[in-house]
Amino acid sequence: MKIARPVTLITVALMTLSFGFTGCKKSPAKTTSLLGPGPGKGIVGDERSGPSIGSAPAQSDHLPAITEATAAAPTSLQTGEGLKQPNGDFAGWIEDVSEFQDQTVYFEYDKANVKPGEIDKLKEVARRMKSSFQGKALRIEGHCDERGTEEYNRTLGDRRAQAIRELLAAEGVNPGMMPTLTFGEDKPADPGHNEAAFSKNRRGALVLLSPPSNSRAQLTTGLGESSAPRNPE
Amino acid sequence: MKRILVLAFCLPVVCASLAQASSAAEPFNIDLIRRPNSLGFLEPILVHVTGLSGEADSALKNDLLFMGVVHKSLDEAKFLINANAVGGRAEARVLEKTTKGQYHEAAFTASTQRAAVHALSDSIAKALTALPNIGIAQTKVTFKVEPSRGRSEVYVTDFDGYGPQAVTQDNTLVSAPCWAGKGTLVYSSYKLGNPQIFSHVLSTGSRNAVARHPGNNYSPAVSPDGRRVAMILNMNGTPNLYVSSIDGSGLKQLTRNRHGDACPSWSPDGQTICYVSRAGGSASLYKIPASGGTPAPVRTTFAPSPTEPDWSPDGKWIAFTAQVSGFTLFIVRAEGGEAIQLVPGEDPSWAPNSRALMFCRGPDHSKQLYLLDVPTKTVKPLARILESNSQPSWAK
Repeated sequence: MKIARPVTLITVALMTLSFGFTGCKKSPAKTTSLLGPGPGKGIVGDERSGPSIGSAPAQSDHLPAITEATAAAPTSLQTGEGLKQPNGDFAGWIEDVSEFQDQTVYFEYDKANVKPGEIDKLKEVARRMKSSFQGKALRIEGHCDERGTEEYNRTLGDRRAQAIRELLAAEGVNPGMMPTLTFGEDKPADPGHNEAAFSKNRRGALVLLSPPSNSRAQLTTGLGESSAPRNPE
Repeated sequence: MKRILVLAFCLPVVCASLAQASSAAEPFNIDLIRRPNSLGFLEPILVHVTGLSGEADSALKNDLLFMGVVHKSLDEAKFLINANAVGGRAEARVLEKTTKGQYHEAAFTASTQRAAVHALSDSIAKALTALPNIGIAQTKVTFKVEPSRGRSEVYVTDFDGYGPQAVTQDNTLVSAPCWAGKGTLVYSSYKLGNPQIFSHVLSTGSRNAVARHPGNNYSPAVSPDGRRVAMILNMNGTPNLYVSSIDGSGLKQLTRNRHGDACPSWSPDGQTICYVSRAGGSASLYKIPASGGTPAPVRTTFAPSPTEPDWSPDGKWIAFTAQVSGFTLFIVRAEGGEAIQLVPGEDPSWAPNSRALMFCRGPDHSKQLYLLDVPTKTVKPLARILESNSQPSWAK
């Protein structure tokens, strides 16, 4: 595009008029601050209506109910796939993090296989689950150190929890009573930024779950609010 | 005496004619200023901005920077931008520097001066670059904020970090917020115990389930048309790649393996999903047809352990994080090949103009967001909110 000479006065006037029209639309501000009363920051009005932030979400959202669940029967490992997750939700079950604290499984960097030296821990867990903790469940939580990116670590932590679960199932623990959780790098055991801390964070933690009524195991139904994830002590 | 008077009279006439002649003989050619670099990005167009002060001035210059227009000294500039901002109105004339020929003119009125300035920035950048999709000054970004250790919430802010607002107040952990169009977010939340994926309409705050399958539901990625969600689910025992409609119906398992997959990202035409596979024991990028099929590797030569891929809206590039003495951003052509190193950082999200991107950087739980102009590698930080900001996703 070549500009040989300045734009004439008439064209300038026309352009000003047309730009004036396109620029003049005002859209009403629909932003409600979630942070309570106070000056609304950054209320942006422009030609297009941008996304406005609504009020804080109500507790009962449009979430379909979880269907009533029963403990899944133990299944053997299927070729090419892992063990299916239990259908039920263990919300409201009582957590005991100390029972198997010494059996926390540690992993190599970027690996999800349980090292041979860690397997005895899981044999111990299986033995106690079968002998002393009939009717209780075991939540397996997979964690990572910070040297992976966040969503990659979410998968890695997940894979670590699955590896532990499969070994425990092979030792006879009911997989239907072993829900897993991945936390990626969200909840380090040690907040340090060195290998000593990292090696403590690459872990699978085992949490014993007791049914709330202390009677025969019943999995909750509906939208029970579970306890918020605990902060590391 | 007479001779001198005659000469004095002639000189100005001669000068005027010369000036006319030079302007007619050397017409200004914008094509000489719009030059693509070796990767196909436009070289920065240099301008000199006057007439603004304070926030209006810094907002305009920052906007332009990430659209390939850079404010420089009068000597270096090719264009002058004479701007003015009063109340809710911002206007500017863009003049070619040497001839002072007017190249563009625009004026905008909005409910805030900042909004008017952003509209003006877009208009100026479009006129100078002739790229219809260059305008990003009026766009928004969603991201994750950790107000304190062990808790995270979803926020939305203007692309330049102005006016951040909390979208969730669930006092739990969230991850990977992303956009479905410009008015809805999708994210994974631990609100109900296990991570589940929800869509969240910003204007009303209402939420609907996208994925509440047994096990863990995470890493959502919404297709460019807003209709489908790719995600990682472990319901069948291994975290693998699945796709469903955004309402959760029509669930289809795309990968089936024992090593686990991560980080889905859609091609802009919605036909292909790029993701991270752990086949072979470490991270590498793969592509698979969104309707199902055989995965194919995406080479990222020179960039080990690629994760968090993000496909550019123009389809040409995949940006990602690799491990090169710490997290480093790279881009690679969408078909794979030699990866091009950018700057230290992680978790890139392309701007809709396929030129800028947002990323984060910093020690875990103390991260901050940054803007990057890819061809010039210019980096600008966003103001950090509370303890840690990460996982940016730029609305397209």
